Amino acid sequence: MSAPTEEKTGIVGALAAFPRNVWDSIFRNPLPDSDLGASRTSFTNFFLHIHPVKVHKNSIRPLYTLGLGVMSFVTFVVLTVTGVLLMFYYVPSTTQAYDRMLDLRGSVAFGTFLRNLHRWSAHAMVAIVFLHMGRVFLTGSYKRPREFNWIIGCILFLLTLFASFTGYLLPWDQLAFWAITVGTSIAAYAPLIGKKIQFLLLGDQAVGQEALLRFYVLHVVVLPMLITLLVAIHFWRIRKDGGLSRPADADNMPDGKQLRVEIVPNSQKSGTFGLMGFVRGPFTKVGNVPDNTVYAWPNLFVAELFVFVVTVAALLVVSLLFNAPLEEPVNVLHPPNPAKAPWYFLGLQELVSYSAFWGGVGVPGIEVLLLMLVPFLDRKVSGVGKWFAKERFLANTLFVTFALLNVIFIIVGTFFRGPNWAFVSPF
Amino acid sequence: MSEKTTPSNSGDSRRSILTWFSAAALAGSAAISALANFIFMKPRATYGQPSRYSIGRPDDFPSGTRVSIDQRRVCVVREGPKLAVISTICTHLGCTVGVSDTGFACPCHGSRYDQDGNVVGGPAPKSLTWYQVSLAPNGELEVDTNAPVDQGTYYTI
Repeated sequence: MSAPTEEKTGIVGALAAFPRNVWDSIFRNPLPDSDLGASRTSFTNFFLHIHPVKVHKNSIRPLYTLGLGVMSFVTFVVLTVTGVLLMFYYVPSTTQAYDRMLDLRGSVAFGTFLRNLHRWSAHAMVAIVFLHMGRVFLTGSYKRPREFNWIIGCILFLLTLFASFTGYLLPWDQLAFWAITVGTSIAAYAPLIGKKIQFLLLGDQAVGQEALLRFYVLHVVVLPMLITLLVAIHFWRIRKDGGLSRPADADNMPDGKQLRVEIVPNSQKSGTFGLMGFVRGPFTKVGNVPDNTVYAWPNLFVAELFVFVVTVAALLVVSLLFNAPLEEPVNVLHPPNPAKAPWYFLGLQELVSYSAFWGGVGVPGIEVLLLMLVPFLDRKVSGVGKWFAKERFLANTLFVTFALLNVIFIIVGTFFRGPNWAFVSPF
Repeated sequence: MSEKTTPSNSGDSRRSILTWFSAAALAGSAAISALANFIFMKPRATYGQPSRYSIGRPDDFPSGTRVSIDQRRVCVVREGPKLAVISTICTHLGCTVGVSDTGFACPCHGSRYDQDGNVVGGPAPKSLTWYQVSLAPNGELEVDTNAPVDQGTYYTI
């Protein structure tokens, strides 16, 4: 901030300075040209203060995070924007929904493009959120103190799938109707309350107007609000858990020796520290640890902007090149043969073709339970912050095996299943 | 508030009882509200297909008939004087099964049933449902999908 100069208070002077004054009232700091400016920029800006003033160097290593978390968030933002736009032209009615899909193609400016963007972003979000989960697992980042944030992440993954599933019904085409018929029948296999869950979801005995309305409300209001809330907590916890995970030796002294700080129990704390000194742990870090941090502005923000631009650009290109599929309007009497769910559920559908309970409820239930419990089952803290750490060979191998099995089932379900779900060769 | 002069056990326990009662009241209200939401979400009337409907007169189904009524998702079978209505909703995941002379086949996950609806292949966990058939006063056959009957229970014309 420059030193306050004599302000002319006359009306002419005020008018001359009007644009400048308005600008200054909004942006309190000029673009930073110093470290102090850089810290003020992220500290005083509503949007930028999502990040701390300084972040650890390890957090912005592209090959560590691969930008997958930011990418997941970008797809969610794109989905929210395109979703709200599509809502202006959509009617959740069994008699009108499909016609509205055709109208998007024929009589809405950019209608096809917006639907493409929404559909492909939804596919991308499912894939990227899963890859993000893979990154967190394979770097051991779910461990103490990040157990809770891992669970929030697992719930966000499930909500992503559910949001995608509810969106699937809305075009009211054959794919929509039969995918939801199959999906909600799977829910009915849950023990004891399965039938009740199915009835609550559908609002009727079969997929119809009530189900369309319910899925619409879940898709455009309930799930996005839940996701937004959990994403906020997810982000907040990253900071409160000490930033992104990093190797234990990331903050070693320059001579390679492990840092030793005497930790004073809270009750015996004495002396005066600034508030920031208490944010993590009972001792102040200033001057005690090697400074491996960089300013969030511009380092982190530019990295995130880069991920944002690349993600949006990729989605735009795909949406301009490929049209989202739209099948025949719903025909309650004749399921398409074979009737296939969206690709990310085809692994489940393949399992379901062996046993509805085990494929639809048992196996996925156990998988989700194991995922959520893993931070409490695997308590060793070695190998955190490194990809494929030797110390984590068993855990990583199990995760990769489960993921690969799912991928194989998805490939079989997608390419090797023909009419009546019989095995066919795609070659 | 005045400073507490004498630590009084009875006052402390009264305070903690009040705290617990308030917390319990709040938690109870929240639980009841949540339950009310579930009750609200459960429709009292549905707008879908009626569970009892007419399928026509017995003469419409001559002996040897094996015909699917697509709108109702049932198959009508008649052998001599014996008539039965079998559901064509796959017991696996609710797809509509196709009707053939040899039985039923599901296009979704490959479940197969014999002529009576018994599972002969695929992931279906149980055989197709048979529905109760009766003769309405107007001379038409009436099906009640809320009244499943044992397999092999025919309506005799």
